Amino acid sequence: MIAPSSPVAIALVGCGSVSRLFYQPALRELRRHGLVNILAVVDPRADARNTLAAALGAAACTTLDEALALRPELVVIATPPAMHRAQAEAALAADCAVLCEKPLAAISVDADAIVTAASRSGRLLAAGHYKRFMPAHRALKTFIERETFGPLLDATLVEGGKFSWPAATDSFFQREQTPGGVLLDIGVHTLDLLRWWLGDPVDFTYADDALDGLEANALLSATFTSDANIRLRLSRDWRTENVYVFRFARATIHSRVNASNQLEITLEGLPMTLAAELREPLPGRPAPPTRALDKNPQAFIAQLVDVCAAIRESRAPFVPGIEGAHALRWVEACYNRRTPLPLH
Amino acid sequence: MKPTSHPHTWAIIGASGFIGLRALEGLHDRDGVTVRPVVRAAASLAVLARRRLDWRIADPRDLPALTDALRGCTVCIHAALGDPFQIEQMATIAYQACAAASVRRLVWLSSASVHGQNPAPGTDESSPIHDRHLLAYNNAKVRAERRLEKLSSDGRVEVVRLRPGVVIGPRSRWLTDTAADLRANRAGWLDEGRGVCNSIHADNLVHALRLAATVPAAAGHAFLVGDTEPVTWRDFFLPIAAHLGLPATAFAPATPAALVAKREPALAALTQSRLYQNLGDRVPERTKRLVKALAAAWPDPAPAHDAWTLSRPPASQLTLEQTLLQSCSWKLPHTKAASLLGYAPPVPFAKGLAASLAWLDFAEGPR
Repeated sequence: MIAPSSPVAIALVGCGSVSRLFYQPALRELRRHGLVNILAVVDPRADARNTLAAALGAAACTTLDEALALRPELVVIATPPAMHRAQAEAALAADCAVLCEKPLAAISVDADAIVTAASRSGRLLAAGHYKRFMPAHRALKTFIERETFGPLLDATLVEGGKFSWPAATDSFFQREQTPGGVLLDIGVHTLDLLRWWLGDPVDFTYADDALDGLEANALLSATFTSDANIRLRLSRDWRTENVYVFRFARATIHSRVNASNQLEITLEGLPMTLAAELREPLPGRPAPPTRALDKNPQAFIAQLVDVCAAIRESRAPFVPGIEGAHALRWVEACYNRRTPLPLH
Repeated sequence: MKPTSHPHTWAIIGASGFIGLRALEGLHDRDGVTVRPVVRAAASLAVLARRRLDWRIADPRDLPALTDALRGCTVCIHAALGDPFQIEQMATIAYQACAAASVRRLVWLSSASVHGQNPAPGTDESSPIHDRHLLAYNNAKVRAERRLEKLSSDGRVEVVRLRPGVVIGPRSRWLTDTAADLRANRAGWLDEGRGVCNSIHADNLVHALRLAATVPAAAGHAFLVGDTEPVTWRDFFLPIAAHLGLPATAFAPATPAALVAKREPALAALTQSRLYQNLGDRVPERTKRLVKALAAAWPDPAPAHDAWTLSRPPASQLTLEQTLLQSCSWKLPHTKAASLLGYAPPVPFAKGLAASLAWLDFAEGPR
């Protein structure tokens, strides 16, 4: 990643848990490196707004308009999905670049509208699918594309556990404000990764346990042009192994969820597993160990670095907004094809 | 004897827990009953939100919040978990909130452990209970019942106390912990599991909850409730092992371990200390849960390992609670519940266990 030449002026919209737990430490670290200037935080709730503003040394704004008046270059949107469209359109109309948290919007029509608004304004739009920045996921993409261990035969991905996100209100669980459950919440990341690794699915089936509310368990089975069968199980009900297992012709690879710089590789015919930390490459000569690659929080920071660099270099970000729209469209397609899971 | 029909709203405090959730699934939208889940935090709604429900978020130790949450309900089922101190505290607050909110009946989920995990032969509801058990949990359940008996003497709220034993079903820790121990090669049993397991399938407990909420004659009583069949731990353990493809020998003979036995009462006693109780309301719930989890997970002193030590699976070690439970020789009767409530467990033990194992497959993936 290339660092921008001067600090990017940022406004952070939404002072909920994701801002407090992820953006606050990430932005502070980037400011320490002179990469960002945090102008403002925005939230209608005074306590949340003032706490985060104090922590970041930024102006506390009640509305987005107040923050836009401070002329930020980048608006980071970390609010409930139903608010993303209006906020992104307003920021783009004010000539700001936008990094929008996942899902890009509550519904794909809104996501498309955001993408169109970005295109019309000529401003950068990035989707908050930071898991693409994880070294393990980048390595998997390489293994799949180059068939390093032969073709991918199948993959089983299980992710989730008892829900523990410190949701401040119940809006997260009300269909009117958040139109999806575990698939929209954590699954949108996984579907984005699957698309990135394998392209659009050729076919898929989907089942979940929602009654007239939001699903807590979901099962997806998909095929891709590579003929690989992918099975995904998501839960915010019960513990899972939290691992993606990729079975190639000559190796099986376990990638633990959020273990950003680790892979476990079992080579065909070798009765043992290599538990590997991913590091900067070694030269082909005797050399000391190299630096470990990004852990999960560092991968989150890497996305912000990329967006800031993309603004300075007038280039597209690593994960452009259209990718967020694609992932959301797949989520919606799943809901449209939904079959019920037994409740036991 | 026949339950009266109550087209009313029933609150379930602790509706996101194992029993609370099962009760909600079994009671909501049936026989004219609408269930209102009451949970401590928004995060507890993740599974409940599968259906549209009129939930409330209220700490069961916060009297004003709980009172608000209960307004408009005719029945309150209390299924919230807590440490020993919280159990006693919640009993008082539940009663006061029900009274303030004009709730007609409070169904208090107590436990057969008020009689101890290894009750003397002949024990039934008429047997005296005491708070000198080795496990602080048991004592807290006893004191909570006593508090409710005393409070309900004012006649403002009818109180029914249910005393289930080992509750099995989807999400039951007895099921998942046993499966986890088997998978980790650390499962153990006493006397090859010949002790009596006072089991009750969650759906049988829900049946009892419905009756406790509706049968007029139940007011003021405590009821032991269980499965119909006499069940041994062996009857419970072996189908789980077989389901996981393991033989009976997967359970190693275990002896009561003094180290583990010492720690449990010590941890429970901590929660009842004056210091803890003074701190109780000032320490965030999340912090307390973390501290307790860390304390519980803290490894026992073990011999130092080095490269000259062969690695081996951990030895089977029963907790004090497991030791007492597996030493049990008395099937607690539910004659009183059958007679006064009309309790007749609808789910046979084997069928209930098979359904629970099907859930385990679903929840934890293929074997």
